[in-house]
Amino acid sequence: MDTLNILLVGFISIVIVNNLVFTKFLGICPYLGVSGRIDMAFGMGMAVTFVVTLSGTLTWLIDHLILMKMGLEVTRYVCFILVIAGAVQLVEMYIRKFFPSLYESFGIFLPLITTNCAILGLCLFINLWGIDNLLEAVVLSFGAGIGFTMAICIMAGIRENLNMADVPESLKGAPITLITAGLLTLAFMGFAGMIR
Amino acid sequence: MILADIYQLWSSAWPAGLTMLGLGSGFAVVLLIASIKLKVEIDPKIEQIHGALPNVDCGACGFAGCGQYAKAVSENPEFLGKCAPGGPETASKIALILNLQISDSGPPERPIVHCRANTADKTLYGKYKGIESCTAANSLANVQACKFGCLGFGDCTRACQFDALEMVDGLATVNYEKCTGCGACSRACPRNLIEMVPFAHEHMMTVACSNKETGKTARSMCKVGCIGCGLCAKKADTFSIEENLAHLDYKKYQPTEDTETAINKCPTCVIIYVGKSAPPPRQPAKKTAAAKT
Repeated sequence: MDTLNILLVGFISIVIVNNLVFTKFLGICPYLGVSGRIDMAFGMGMAVTFVVTLSGTLTWLIDHLILMKMGLEVTRYVCFILVIAGAVQLVEMYIRKFFPSLYESFGIFLPLITTNCAILGLCLFINLWGIDNLLEAVVLSFGAGIGFTMAICIMAGIRENLNMADVPESLKGAPITLITAGLLTLAFMGFAGMIR
Repeated sequence: MILADIYQLWSSAWPAGLTMLGLGSGFAVVLLIASIKLKVEIDPKIEQIHGALPNVDCGACGFAGCGQYAKAVSENPEFLGKCAPGGPETASKIALILNLQISDSGPPERPIVHCRANTADKTLYGKYKGIESCTAANSLANVQACKFGCLGFGDCTRACQFDALEMVDGLATVNYEKCTGCGACSRACPRNLIEMVPFAHEHMMTVACSNKETGKTARSMCKVGCIGCGLCAKKADTFSIEENLAHLDYKKYQPTEDTETAINKCPTCVIIYVGKSAPPPRQPAKKTAAAKT
């Protein structure tokens, strides 16, 4: 019961309170770049969720079983990037083999997940927060992916409606998107301090 | 002393290097196994065709992008020659890859805008202040007097990937030097003003109007609208009048003296030349005081 409680609180915390996009400002590139349409945004979110879960788990394992035992914490960044790049490659091959249509609709965004800083950020945060339990690391990674999906889908929904709005000439395009992102972040700042 | 430092550096660095090497080769093995197990067989011809295509993903061929078209054309040679931006060159390259003989598909298609009304020629009932898009403006009944003419909000210019269309004084104008004939503009226009026409000549004659109202109504709406008088049809047999609007049979069009007479006799100057180095259109005669008497 106690474990379940910790996991649940951790999950809600990473999705809403410590959302990587809204409060840590990570993964802004796909958050602004792929949020033009809801279906694309959702696909991107799902791909990121998968990769972040996989790489979060793997990096926790490598960090605890290899790097910490050998006192090689300095090489963390390099190792983590290695894991993420490998995971993305694996996911790409898997999707190409078994879901060709999904692969075609992702296009360039699939390899671009490698450079999504939200993923490396989460792997480092797991270490920073001192998570010493594999299960918790898995749940946090998955929650981070879900949080990213939620953020990008909310943004895509707003931007789809924004297309129809009467935006002042000088704010059209990127400026209004950035303002929207700022307001959205402000709204989610309201959750700060709720848990952890 | 320096030697000792180097030794120390080496002794503390090698475990890190070895670990990285181990991890890297571990992933390499996993990915190698995965790439063999999850290998997708791709016809090398598809990749070759994809390489020969212009890679602009314009959708003129009717597929989502160049990748899909390459796949389709390799399976079904019927689709050969559908690539408008690539033109005959690309078609012959693909034919070479697929070991096919290519038949002449005729002159390339280019868009023609069936309207020539600039802002000053149009009759407007009021000022439209809605969404700046032809599709939105078109849903409003009385956005301008002519129900057929160019709205001038530039849906076609936004659809064009080649920067070949621009709005000149409220009228979509094709730059035939840049146009590749993909037809995106023709699909984008909510009023179906832009027609894809086989361009057999350097410049083509065209009826630059779509107004199907009777002569009097058309004249009240627009200074350069077709009034359906039928003078052109009398002068040249490639012209015909349907629903108060002159039509030109673009497939049969040949520049002759008859068509030249037709263009000069047209009372509202609605028949014009378009294309590369096209002569400027005749301007409708101003009704001066002398003309009235």
